[in-house]
Amino acid sequence: MNFPSIDFSWFGNGSVIALIAIIHVVISHGVAIGTIALMVTMEYRAHRTKNLALDALAKKIAKWVLIITTTMGAMTGVGIWFSTTVIQPDSIGALLRIFFWAWVAEWIVFITEVVLLILYYYTWDKWQDGRAKARHIKLGIVLAFASWMTMAIITGVLAAKLTPGLWVETHAFWNAFINPTYLPSLGFRMFLAILLAIALLSFFIRWRVKDVALRQEVFHVFGLWGAISLPAVFVLGLWYLWSIPTDAYDMIVWSTGMPENVFKTLNGIAFAILIIYLIWMIVKPKAVPWILSLIVMGSSVAFIGEFEVVRESIRKPFIIYDYMYANGLLEENREKYDEEGFLKHATWAKEREITEDNVVDAGREVFIGQCITCHTVDGWRSKRSLTNRMDGWTEDDMTSFIPTMHNVRVAMPPFMGTDEELEALAAYLSTEINGKRTNKKEVSQQ
Amino acid sequence: MIVASISPDNVLPIPAPIGLLEVLIVITFLLHIIFVNFTISLTAGAVGLETFGIIKKNRKYDNMAKIASYHASIHKSIAVVLGVGPLLMISVIYTQYFYSSTILIGKAWLSVLILLIVAFLMLYVYKFTWERWQHKKGLHLFFGIGAMAILFFVPLIFIVNVVSMLYPEQWATANGFFHSLFHYPQIWQRYLHFMLASIATGGFYFFIFYSFKKRKHVLQEDEVSLKRNGAKVGFWVTVVQLVAGFLLLFSFKPEIRMLYMGEDLLLTTLLILSIMFTLILCALLYKASEQDSGKSFLLALATFVMILGIMGWMRHELRESYLQPYLEDNPRTEHTTQNNNK
Ligand code: HEC
Repeated sequence: MNFPSIDFSWFGNGSVIALIAIIHVVISHGVAIGTIALMVTMEYRAHRTKNLALDALAKKIAKWVLIITTTMGAMTGVGIWFSTTVIQPDSIGALLRIFFWAWVAEWIVFITEVVLLILYYYTWDKWQDGRAKARHIKLGIVLAFASWMTMAIITGVLAAKLTPGLWVETHAFWNAFINPTYLPSLGFRMFLAILLAIALLSFFIRWRVKDVALRQEVFHVFGLWGAISLPAVFVLGLWYLWSIPTDAYDMIVWSTGMPENVFKTLNGIAFAILIIYLIWMIVKPKAVPWILSLIVMGSSVAFIGEFEVVRESIRKPFIIYDYMYANGLLEENREKYDEEGFLKHATWAKEREITEDNVVDAGREVFIGQCITCHTVDGWRSKRSLTNRMDGWTEDDMTSFIPTMHNVRVAMPPFMGTDEELEALAAYLSTEINGKRTNKKEVSQQ
Repeated sequence: MIVASISPDNVLPIPAPIGLLEVLIVITFLLHIIFVNFTISLTAGAVGLETFGIIKKNRKYDNMAKIASYHASIHKSIAVVLGVGPLLMISVIYTQYFYSSTILIGKAWLSVLILLIVAFLMLYVYKFTWERWQHKKGLHLFFGIGAMAILFFVPLIFIVNVVSMLYPEQWATANGFFHSLFHYPQIWQRYLHFMLASIATGGFYFFIFYSFKKRKHVLQEDEVSLKRNGAKVGFWVTVVQLVAGFLLLFSFKPEIRMLYMGEDLLLTTLLILSIMFTLILCALLYKASEQDSGKSFLLALATFVMILGIMGWMRHELRESYLQPYLEDNPRTEHTTQNNNK
């Protein structure tokens, strides 16, 4: 515990980060990257075919892209950073130092993207005729490129958390950035963004655009992009899966919380529906059923959520693979803590030494330092609530389980600390869960 | 209880020489804060002018308000993206202090996200419904006032954070955001200084914006009004700011205040220069508000940039002075030319 800690005791610290991250991914991929590509293509097609209605629709989309990305999009992006600072300070602290210059570059691209987007929207009517329109479309292409660049940079950081590759030994920036999953995950995300945008937009188009001819035009553009993106996502997705560590690969199904056959069936069906939808769009653009577009939109957002949860979970117990555990503890400090004690090195622990009187309080500090990033005492997610998971356990059960917990449940980091600290942790958990101490010695003494 | 819980620095080295990062933090922070100033004051200006227009039943003020809201909604997007830079710098250079001060007000810190999303969406509603809701002025104003209220509140969260990081010995007794508002010194003085600066900057913005525009186009009546009144607001608020600045100075620890009042040559010079430039700016703005000459607006702009630069620099030095004793006791993991850290 190098820093103070915060406790979202009901919602769960992990859930706070996940919620913000999922909203951000839907917006950054679906709106900022995917929709911008589609929108510029629509504008281009409108210009080529002299279709004023299509141009006006593209402009309307641009307005919504502007509104959504500069509010929810930008704030949830900053929000991922805010929430990790508050909840996982050690991890984000390390990432900022490793990837500092990548972040600086990201920042500059990000400013460029926003300025271009503002220009793009506000020059729409001014740059309408002939050469000016061509310039406007070029501006759109540069904007699309800038938004893709933000992804190209941040993916380096995200991928490195799962596969830091040579960095663990060299601590060199480029080893971390160009890591084993960088290219496959970038490619995968890129085309996923297009598909997500198609799913989101086509629902609103199907719903709000009454002009069938216009709708047909739009679906024509979407169909084209979809025909490229769907196979690309499939192939790149396989490459991505193939390049992650085996331990992580084995955790994919588990991390969704679904039984394997349910997982396979659901994802298979969703993929099949998407194929049907795209084919429908290409073959019969006039008659795309709205209910189908709604299902596709829902399942796409769900898939993005699943992807994010999986990506974050399969890294467990690490937050930076082979280097830092999810609770911020470094693998290299394990022996030190086992010998000298964890609390002794925990600057912010309220109790730094264990005495007769403070056992339970000291145990709480160990819990906060080592378990709270993933667990609650009794929050809504029953799988992570220890009141649920340790229901009926005595202190002795706990003290024999915890030192081996990383072997039994591979998602968990090893416990680090002295025997006294282990007993204190058990004493705290027992008081919370059972309402009393349940150590044989203690109980018989009373 | 431990006197001040300052943890050892992250074992990974700071990714660049600290001096370089200090220069970057000053520059990036100024870029960010100037757009924040624009956003806050142009929003407040729009709401004020619209209200005034309703009371006076004069369409002219409504038009001026509309222009202000338009500018505000653009600048708010830029303010947010620019903020990422200084946040990155402060996190990397002052990890041991900034992370703790952030987490101590963690829930308020996270609430910034929701607050700003709501404020920004309200600002868009306010801007995009201007014509459509001409006859629903109450509803329209509601969105403007809502956005403004949030934008007035959020700076307090940031101020608590950057002030509390200067007072590690008071962390142990702080209890969340609202308590911290009164727990640490300087907070309200900083808030006053910041809000006045915002309003003055907004006035100054219109003065400069239309002075430039005038070189190419003939200004319309509303625009001339915005330009002159902008200079006027800039002038009067800056006069008040001269007093507020001293209130802030007197909220510092005596040892640190004395650095600005003779004990440290650099800081004292900076302070004197800043006051001098401010007086010059006031004179220029006064002239501009009296007569629509605008000849010396480039000079005013240069003076303004000087003041801004000095303020940013002094602000950084202030943090360094406060943290110096802690930095000495808790060394940072400094940048090394090779990429090894052990
Ligand atoms: C990286 C996140 C993480 C951390 C940190 C963590 N756990 Fe867990 N823990 C999990 C997950 C995930 C599960 C659920 C595993 C499953 O259901 O397969 C779990 C399950 C458990 C269980 C139930 C085991 C069972 O067999 O039913 C207990 C008890 C437990 N954790 C205790 C702890 C304690 C005590 C700590 C702190 C010393 C801790 N955990 C730290 C992620 C974590």
